[in-house]
Amino acid sequence: MTATDAPGHLAIRGLTKRYGGFTAVDGLDLDVARGELLAFLGPSGCGKTTSLRMVAGLVPASGGRIVVGGRDLTDVPTHRRDMGLVFQSYALFPHLSVARNVAFGLEMRGIGRAEREARVREAIALVRLTGKEEHRPAQLSGGQQQRVALARALVIRPQILLLDEPLSNLDAKLRDEMRIEIREIQQRLGITAIFVTHDQVEALTMCDKVAVMNGGRLEQLGPPLDLYERPATPFVASFVGRINQFRARAAGGIVGLGEARITGAGPAEGPVEVMIRPHRIALRPASAPVEDAEGRLNTVAGTVARTTFAGDVLHYEVAVGDAMIGVEEATRSDAGPVAPGTPVRLSWRPDDTLLFAAVARDGRMRP
Amino acid sequence: MTAALAVAPTTPRGGSPVRPAAGPALLAAIVAVNLLGFVVPVLNLLRLSFLKVEATGTLRETFDLSSWQAILTDGFYAGLLVDSVRTCALITGLTLVLSYPIALLIHRCRGTIRTLLLVLVVTPLLTSAVVRTYGWVALLYDQGLVNGMLMALGLSAPLRLMFNTVGVVIGLTEILMPYMILSLLAGFGRLDPRYEEAAMTLGASPWRTFLRVVLPLTLPGIALGCLLTFVLALSSFITPKLLGGGRVFLLATEIYDQAMVTLNWPLAAALSMVILAMFGLALVLYGRLVRRIG
Ligand SMILES: Nc1ncnc2c1ncn2[C@@H]1O[C@H](COP(=O)(O)OP(=O)(O)OP(=O)(O)O)[C@@H](O)[C@H]1O
Ligand SMILES: [Mg+2]
Repeated sequence: MTATDAPGHLAIRGLTKRYGGFTAVDGLDLDVARGELLAFLGPSGCGKTTSLRMVAGLVPASGGRIVVGGRDLTDVPTHRRDMGLVFQSYALFPHLSVARNVAFGLEMRGIGRAEREARVREAIALVRLTGKEEHRPAQLSGGQQQRVALARALVIRPQILLLDEPLSNLDAKLRDEMRIEIREIQQRLGITAIFVTHDQVEALTMCDKVAVMNGGRLEQLGPPLDLYERPATPFVASFVGRINQFRARAAGGIVGLGEARITGAGPAEGPVEVMIRPHRIALRPASAPVEDAEGRLNTVAGTVARTTFAGDVLHYEVAVGDAMIGVEEATRSDAGPVAPGTPVRLSWRPDDTLLFAAVARDGRMRP
Repeated sequence: MTAALAVAPTTPRGGSPVRPAAGPALLAAIVAVNLLGFVVPVLNLLRLSFLKVEATGTLRETFDLSSWQAILTDGFYAGLLVDSVRTCALITGLTLVLSYPIALLIHRCRGTIRTLLLVLVVTPLLTSAVVRTYGWVALLYDQGLVNGMLMALGLSAPLRLMFNTVGVVIGLTEILMPYMILSLLAGFGRLDPRYEEAAMTLGASPWRTFLRVVLPLTLPGIALGCLLTFVLALSSFITPKLLGGGRVFLLATEIYDQAMVTLNWPLAAALSMVILAMFGLALVLYGRLVRRIG
């Protein structure tokens, strides 16, 4: 357990998977601290499952290392890796009862009957399935099966717990419940875990850190707040939360938008991608008095093109020059929706303006 | 709701064009075919087994128990039954052991390779068992390919691979393998690679994964394949006749001899009823097993 080279409990170095000429996972580097829950977040086909399966040893890596607690597991077969895996489809053994499913890993470890039974009972109670021990998987609901899969992976007290979109087959309400449940169990037992998801809400609400992946590469790794407030790439900015995005040109740190000049954090010269979250923009009728006397905010003038009432929030689309900017405001009882056609003033903090160097539309964009 | 359902059946639903009224009609056809093709002949055989036969082979329409008496009291027939069941059980076991890996491989293959392997499995079925048996004769006789090779390797006298039970077992095992493989594949539906992966992440070595997950999940296929192979082995007579060279006595060859050589049709009929009873027994065992697994 030399802590010199491997700062994380789980360290992944340059992990790569190639299928023929296609690179599914491209040089993944990351660390997961002991007891931490890390999310793999990314669009479909970005290599999340492949990465997870390489960590579990179910898919041989084309390159890179997997180190757990200082021990290199890259060439260790799956059954000696001591990792619990919850499959997207649960993969409960259909020929075994709930109790036998949960007991399977303990039997494989040669744990005596008395201890086995106690631990199985405990694990089944943990996922609140007491009374269902003798049911077959086919007799359980999706959520119950999912909990059995979780109990089966947890009962062996694995070094690392891997979860591959375990909630994607559940309805919204059950998903919310299971999120909290999984997080609670993971924290209580202090397990190091990776949670694969393509649902940003799941990643942001449950996990200590999020690894955003795109096209087989790691785009950014950080706590949810960092990802949201300081996205490293336009991809992360647009994948995590909603955001306005348009092209503009920067000169001397000033970006021209319509008639107005705005500032933000990012490259000072050349073509830029401007990104602003819709709910960070304040919308006022042009006739209203200017509140920002010191001129510290970015302010642009525009015309409301569309107003959509959605209960909690009002969505506006505002034409500013030839750009269309989405604005979101909480509904209020003292002011009704601003009608389309109304001239308005939009303002937001320069810090909320994300600027990225623009590259060709179809190419990868880097800050 | 119930009223709506009661009216609905006249319109085809869910893409199924079969109207409920067609059900009994379709069933009637099956029942008729079964009656004419199976029940009537079997009943006829049963009647035949109680008839008297002259030494010349002439049948007389008088009630006579001598065929059944011979089967039940003559030790030869009891021995024949035991030998047949034992030989066929051995053939079934060998066929299973040889076919299982092939079926597992095919089950895991996808696309062109799978199709190719399936064609290879089915092709032998397009050739008659007689031709394939003669193929084995060419391989197994004293100067055949197998013995030729063994002698070239230094064996002094040829192995007796034909005109004995060994030859019959070898020949029937190969001939029945396609049936076994196809039955196994039909019964492998529940086997999903994800279960094996789950077992491995839980710490099961490949061998234990096979014993604890793969084998139990393929039991339905194994049961089906064994039933079919056993029944086919018990009722085949051309291969035992040719490769046994008249020295291997099995129920089916004995029935053939009694019917075609000795012309003792009542005895042949009675032995046929015995085989039929064995089939029934195998089917009951199969049913029990499947219910246990299910
Ligand atoms: N066995 C394989 N052979 C060839 N390509 C593969 C194979 N398995 C996966 N891929 C490719 O690798 C890429 C990543 O697949 P992966 O299953 O890891 O995606 P994912 O991020 O888990 O997506 P999803 O969210 O849809 O589950 C995909 O483009 C996929 O087509
Ligand atoms: Mg996936």
